Amino acid sequence: MSFTDADLIARVLAREDQHAFGELVRRYQSPVRGFLGRMTRGDTHLADDLAQETFLKAWRKLHTYRGSARFSTWLFGIAYNEFRTVARQSKELAVEDIEQPLAEPAKSAAGSRSDLRLDLTEALKELHSGERAAIVLCCQNGLTHEEAAQVLDCPLGTVKTHVLRGKEKLKRRLFGYQDYESA
Amino acid sequence: MNQPEENDPIDVLLREQNTHVENNGFTTRVLAALPPRRRMWLRPVVLLGAAAIGSALASRWLPWENLSPFDLAALPSLNSQVLLPWLLVLSVAASLAWAVTAAVQGED
Repeated sequence: MSFTDADLIARVLAREDQHAFGELVRRYQSPVRGFLGRMTRGDTHLADDLAQETFLKAWRKLHTYRGSARFSTWLFGIAYNEFRTVARQSKELAVEDIEQPLAEPAKSAAGSRSDLRLDLTEALKELHSGERAAIVLCCQNGLTHEEAAQVLDCPLGTVKTHVLRGKEKLKRRLFGYQDYESA
Repeated sequence: MNQPEENDPIDVLLREQNTHVENNGFTTRVLAALPPRRRMWLRPVVLLGAAAIGSALASRWLPWENLSPFDLAALPSLNSQVLLPWLLVLSVAASLAWAVTAAVQGED
């Protein structure tokens, strides 16, 4: 029998049921760790530390979850706040907010699909953190612009701009790949 | 709504890159780091214990011998000799009932 998120949350709140919370962690560890992995530019250790802190904070603050948004959206919000807290203290993560020109577009028209994927990963790292977060949330995790605005705590228009600008930058970076053109 | 454009190569690539992250003990580490559970059983035990002790004391000390049969006709006269023992019994019974209900339901 499969419990809904709401069932599991109710069990955690009523009985501090750690098994129920474990099931929630199992369900959402992949998107949360994936999101934080992107945000930390592939630093998996830092991403996992932030993800762990995200779930611990979710445990402590679960009584404040009102169910008006999807549970995943609420979790992404905590995760993004954790990232921002660390980014404020980390020079390495903070430099991303200085506008940088993207690396040269890929020149090789015959570049393989695996090269293309690698280049996309690198291109994502070069985006401004807001653009990267908006792209990862909306294009990879299927959040609506409204949900992403809630996660990023910014106006809806800002999210739309981030997504558009981010995709434009990625397209410029990947221009030239045959596989990209035919994807 | 912002459904990813099916034919936009960037959307296709981004979706392809969204691979599953293996758990590899992550859930176990999170659960091990959770704070210890509060003693959820303590509150109902204390409430039921207090109710049991209250019942014992009530059966021993309440003025049962002064408890005359309840007479509705005595109510308007506010005869304290009739009403006072009943008020005492009723208030003790209500307190015990509240304690048992709170213990069973886990409510304040």
